[in-house]
Amino acid sequence: MDFEVINTTTSDELLKAIAANQNSNFRIGAGFTDLINQLKKQNTEELTIINIAQLKDEAYTQIVEEADGLRIGTLATASDIVDNNFIRENYPVLHQAASKLACTQIRNVATLGGNICNVSPSGDMTASLIALKATCHIVDCNGGERAELLSDFIIGLKKTTLKKNEIIKNITIPMNDHHNIISGYEKVGSRKSMEIAIVSLGYHIQMNNDGTITDAGVSCGAVAPTIPFATSACDFLLGKDIQDLTEADKEEFANKVMEYASPISDVRASEWYRKEVLFNLSQTIFS
Amino acid sequence: MEKELKVIGKSHRKLDGKERVSGKAVYGHDIELPNMLHGSILRTAHPCAEIISIDTSKAEALEGVECVITADDDVYDVNNISYKRDHPILKKGTVNCNRDEIAAVAARTKEIADKALQLIEVEYNVKKGIYDPVEALKNEAPQINEFGKGKEQFGNKNMAESFHYEHGNLEEQKAKSKVIVKRTYELPRVTHACMATSNITAEFSPFDGRLTLWSSTQVPFLYQRDIAHALKMEPSKIRIIQPIIGGGFGSKLDMHPFEPICVLLAKKSGKPVQILFSREEEFVLSPTRQPMVIDLTTGCDENGKFTFREVEIIKDNGAYTSWGATTPFVMMQSYSSLYQVPACKFDSHAVYTNNPFAGSFRGYGNPQATFSIETNIDLMAEELGMDQSEIRLINANYKGEVTGQGLHFKTCGAIPALEKVIDESDFEKANAEPKGDRYKKGIGLGSMLHVGGGAKIYRSDGCGTVLKLDDYGYLTIITGSNEIGQGSETVLAMIAMEELGIAEEKIKVINTDTDVKPWDVGVHASRTSFVAGNSLLGAIKLMKEKLNKKAVALLDVVTDDWEYADGKMTFNEFEIKIDKVAREMHFGTPHELCTVNYFYEPPSKFQDKDFKGDVSGNYAFASQAIEVEVDTVTGNVEVLNVHVSQDVGRVLNPIGLQGQMEGGLATGIGYALTEEMIYENGELKNPSFHGYKLLTATDMPPVHFYPIETYDEAGPYGSKGAGEAPLIPTAAAIANAVSNALGVTFYSLPITAEKVLRALKEQKEKNKEVLV
Ligand SMILES: Cc1cc2nc3c(=O)[nH]c(=O)nc-3n(C[C@H](O)[C@H](O)[C@H](O)COP(=O)(O)OP(=O)(O)OC[C@H]3O[C@@H](n4cnc5c(N)ncnc54)[C@H](O)[C@@H]3O)c2cc1C
Repeated sequence: MDFEVINTTTSDELLKAIAANQNSNFRIGAGFTDLINQLKKQNTEELTIINIAQLKDEAYTQIVEEADGLRIGTLATASDIVDNNFIRENYPVLHQAASKLACTQIRNVATLGGNICNVSPSGDMTASLIALKATCHIVDCNGGERAELLSDFIIGLKKTTLKKNEIIKNITIPMNDHHNIISGYEKVGSRKSMEIAIVSLGYHIQMNNDGTITDAGVSCGAVAPTIPFATSACDFLLGKDIQDLTEADKEEFANKVMEYASPISDVRASEWYRKEVLFNLSQTIFS
Repeated sequence: MEKELKVIGKSHRKLDGKERVSGKAVYGHDIELPNMLHGSILRTAHPCAEIISIDTSKAEALEGVECVITADDDVYDVNNISYKRDHPILKKGTVNCNRDEIAAVAARTKEIADKALQLIEVEYNVKKGIYDPVEALKNEAPQINEFGKGKEQFGNKNMAESFHYEHGNLEEQKAKSKVIVKRTYELPRVTHACMATSNITAEFSPFDGRLTLWSSTQVPFLYQRDIAHALKMEPSKIRIIQPIIGGGFGSKLDMHPFEPICVLLAKKSGKPVQILFSREEEFVLSPTRQPMVIDLTTGCDENGKFTFREVEIIKDNGAYTSWGATTPFVMMQSYSSLYQVPACKFDSHAVYTNNPFAGSFRGYGNPQATFSIETNIDLMAEELGMDQSEIRLINANYKGEVTGQGLHFKTCGAIPALEKVIDESDFEKANAEPKGDRYKKGIGLGSMLHVGGGAKIYRSDGCGTVLKLDDYGYLTIITGSNEIGQGSETVLAMIAMEELGIAEEKIKVINTDTDVKPWDVGVHASRTSFVAGNSLLGAIKLMKEKLNKKAVALLDVVTDDWEYADGKMTFNEFEIKIDKVAREMHFGTPHELCTVNYFYEPPSKFQDKDFKGDVSGNYAFASQAIEVEVDTVTGNVEVLNVHVSQDVGRVLNPIGLQGQMEGGLATGIGYALTEEMIYENGELKNPSFHGYKLLTATDMPPVHFYPIETYDEAGPYGSKGAGEAPLIPTAAAIANAVSNALGVTFYSLPITAEKVLRALKEQKEKNKEVLV
């Protein structure tokens, strides 16, 4: 592999580097855990890498509690997320997703932004953020900013709305309305670590003190070209009392989740298995 | 009986442990010679085809390419390779499997070599190919390997190898049987997944015709002979140097085509050449465990005593025949002699197909055999209404037993091992307990028998040792045996420390160079500590005779009873430093060096033409009780606890032994649950760790290991070989545990989550039918 690397340490340098390379072939590199694998398979002679791993700008690196939610810099690593107490307490779905990613060595360098921008249907942190209704904050090389719901940002297999002159700066997650939550990330695979999800299910359900469901987010990974937000399954739950959910309700919920699943068969699992497991898992999250 | 020992039996870190974990160890990949070129090999694009033409001109023209070879090259003056000599090194005319080598390039860099491969144009006439051994046996099937001698030898052109064995009166025993269980088992292709990929560096001198190979072979002297045969050379002109080897597990028992190819490139280019496999090549190219279908019929009488076993095996040999075709040697031991078996009939046929050829793999056929035997035992127990533990105990092997095959168990820890795991796992209770709701628990048993004192399958199963005690009291052990990570060189150092009282820092083990070391058959059959250990003990005895004699002369005392400790020899009040004795030998008359030379050949015998005879110096026995938990939502099986008890004769290095247990179990658990090379029409679909589910450290359950010491007099300090055993009964015990958890029996491995969910679904549907 033979490519040029531009190291950036400030957002100014970063935006300049992006601006300067608009007419050439460049890639952003953060933790490089996806990128290096991809570059192995292609000709890298004409390629420039803009390395953001050394960026010192807090807007890109920090995890900050704000009035209306949590802001996570694109360069936060899976380990940073695992170690964050606020996330563990308030967003178990994200905590679990990050802690089930790869292994310690990879988690120490794999970034949140890299996970999102790799746009894999089995991206664990991405799947959990979709269930959390996260928003991406994007800057362009002229300093322009825009925000977009993560589930809108991803538009297809390996496709996002990100333009060549743009980069993700950070993401925000809305504050929970209630402390009463059912939240978790189920990842199915045959190894406990170093496993890409065969199927995953992220869920973050909020209830008021009476147990009435006031908000729900459900996403399913590795069963479609993108990671779908299971809107109709979520809508089905809204307004229901969590204690009153019957077996039939749970089955209907699972059936609604299945509407979003159109998995393929590959060497790791068959379509049949992926569907069967997603259905089974969807029923278990309330027990 | 057991002698009081100071070093043996106490945990000792591996001699090369620090080098390995600090990254200082020099693997084959780290070797760099002046002017060295990098080789790459072009493999067929189709597993079964005729080659119409090969055009290498564009590759040759590429800047940086030094030479390209094909089977039409002048330098290609070679013999076929492999156990049956049915494997051309480079292929022309036809290709028979996805590994087939067509051409090779040596270039200044690996990148250039790989680029050159893409410029080689090969025209194929693609054929359908045969990927199922049963199809290959049919009359209308074409002959797959043109060098195969199946027609003459076994009456079928696609039969690569065939074994028949029997003992006892089968019909009589069948008549006695109250229960007869007949089942068909299917075993997958799995791979060794060595962490260091295969590698070789070759340097050929045109001046004296000598060849030096830096190779990761595990059998350097057989390899030297194989290379010599392949390349029509004299073996002694070939020097094999083994850099640190990052895993063998049997994969490096055969010589593979890339090795002589590398030599041919070195010969043609006149420069050293190195070939390193990528991870994908390692998956595609290293030999696999034999996939096979086993039909097993077994019986027992009304008391649960075993009566007979009748087994018929069809093995997928792949396109060429490697050492792997001889795995029935080991399998027939298990069928004939694991537990008491009055009558046994065994037939095994290895059949050519257009699949990749299988090779040898730790356990050598035994995990497959044991899986079928132990599953059938559970089924017989169930039918009889007998405990799974009891049926095993009443049939277990015992001390003094001479089995139908002629294996003589002079010591035998089978019953103690079984009792230990039954007891420690609280087997009866766990077996009967309610299984749980979403997560269902189960427990299963499996036992095994394996050679423990080498195995005489080559004309010599011995090992030579040269010892040198220098003027400063440092001991050099030059052993024929080699180290591929199993820790045997540490055991050798421990033996020398024990016997000669020399400190570890004064001991050097030299074992990597065939020009220096005496002969040994290689690392396989769990033999190294046993054979090399005995060889070292023999050499030490000779050295002590020399030292004793000199000490007597120096101290003017008459005795043979010297004690060796702390660098000194003592007898009553007489004491002398061992280095002083060595110096006095050297500098005093009659001037001799303190060196000795010894060769040990184990007492084992060749089996006769009916495969009967006492083939090993001793035998290892083991039982495992494994607890699992099945997630009925995902189908995943988690191994909760492994209780393993093994007759190791005597524990030499506890920490090394524990390492062998854990490593073996990791392989065994993967074999049981997750590992499988997925082949479709001769092509591997999952050549990466992403798709091939090798387990990781985080998947390892707690391992409760209870060694059984039977002090077998054949082994060093009473020890037996231990390396292969820990993975042999694992799949069997896990399969039995899953069956205990779910009430469904699995007849094929691996027991994947998908198989489990499908079985649960079928079970549910059946139950529904019953209700209706
Ligand atoms: C062995 C192994 C195991 C793995 N296991 C898992 C797993 O279990 N679960 C999982 O989800 N993933 C897994 N991955 C994938 C990978 O580790 C994750 O997707 C990780 O989060 C990627 O982050 P990174 O910082 O390494 O990204 P990089 O490789 O640096 O970048 C990935 C992509 O994102 C782009 N990018 C990065 N940051 C930005 C930004 N701020 N703005 C715009 N584009 C950006 C890059 O240009 C590139 O296209 C695994 C990878 C490996 C090698």
